[in-house]
Amino acid sequence: MKHFYSSLIEIESIVVELDKMDLTKEQRIHLAALVDSSLHHTILDAVLSELTHQDKKVFLNHLKEDDHSKIWKFLNDHVDKIEEKIQKTAEDLKQELHKDLKEAQNK
Amino acid sequence: MTKFISSKPHYEYLRKKWSARHRAVQNKFWERHGEHLKHLALGSLGGLMLLSSPVRPELPPPNLTVSRDDVLKDYDRNVLLAQALSIKIPKEVRPLDSLEEKEITDILSRNLGFKVAAEMDNIRLNRNYGLIGGEQHLYRYPGDNLYAHADSTSDWGKYGDAGIAPGLGAWGYFSPSRQDFSDTDKQRERYYLAIQTFLVPGYAENVNKFRDFFKYRKMLVINSKTGQAVVAVIGDAGPAQWTGKHLGGSPEVMDYLGLAEGPRKGPVLYFFIDDPKNEVPLGPVKIRSEA
Repeated sequence: MKHFYSSLIEIESIVVELDKMDLTKEQRIHLAALVDSSLHHTILDAVLSELTHQDKKVFLNHLKEDDHSKIWKFLNDHVDKIEEKIQKTAEDLKQELHKDLKEAQNK
Repeated sequence: MTKFISSKPHYEYLRKKWSARHRAVQNKFWERHGEHLKHLALGSLGGLMLLSSPVRPELPPPNLTVSRDDVLKDYDRNVLLAQALSIKIPKEVRPLDSLEEKEITDILSRNLGFKVAAEMDNIRLNRNYGLIGGEQHLYRYPGDNLYAHADSTSDWGKYGDAGIAPGLGAWGYFSPSRQDFSDTDKQRERYYLAIQTFLVPGYAENVNKFRDFFKYRKMLVINSKTGQAVVAVIGDAGPAQWTGKHLGGSPEVMDYLGLAEGPRKGPVLYFFIDDPKNEVPLGPVKIRSEA
């Protein structure tokens, strides 16, 4: 599924590391789902934390409709440098995931 | 007492660590924003789909692997279409006769909301009912790689093991460079079919005309047993006749047809889509009305 932030987030480096591991398809899908859902929660937390009570409602309705143009117009109108904030949030989480991947490779 | 030792300690390590982290980010999210989500009518989840609550029963159950357009969501309605088609489709997988073609394309056009046809511009395929087999990903631009095909980590999980074909598709790269690579190009590779264009009557005598006609020609492909349907483009020529298969589908097409597991093969109907204004999007198709 393509999310409104997908084009901002580079996941290739995580995928490359996971692909080096000996995993069954079920294991791949399970770990991949944990990564995607963790990213989704973390990014939405970062976005919602920038919005007022009323704006959160509007944003969540746009998100529910999954209308990416509306979402971006709304965010750009209401949050300063939102793209940078999303990228920074994702990068921080990815750094942690990379650390875990490195640890796992030594097991 | 024997201590259990996992044969894949790296997986166990990541599973535990990432499950714990996932729970932590979920808890944080719901503690901070849960009140706002409670008031949303969760009819269609859209971009909320990956949100799962660790504790709140009023929200959808944890659903980590299902995407918004997961075909199972529409399974029951698609089955109605499959039932309507079942009395028109021959028992054995063979080319349709003209009456069968007409009845089937009428049913499909009526239910899907766009016109499907066995013939366009006086061109018709060698057949419209055949066995589809799973194909690999295709290189989309010079320097492309398998990992870059995934929009999300779950994409890689589901489709990564299909691999990438060593050669290019029938039309070469989808884009001349990474810089020129557009969302249209991306969707075309994601939802592509390999069609036996070389077996189309008159192909040898009209190579240029037919090549232009077939290049990224929009088609409907539908699992005749389940009604699961996808709009795709012709992105490659194949498979060879000796394979016993009549067309091929990208990993994503096979997934949405419900044919990604097991033998990765099954009977499908496939027709041109008459879409002169390019209004029909690529991807899984929802049934508009009852069959």
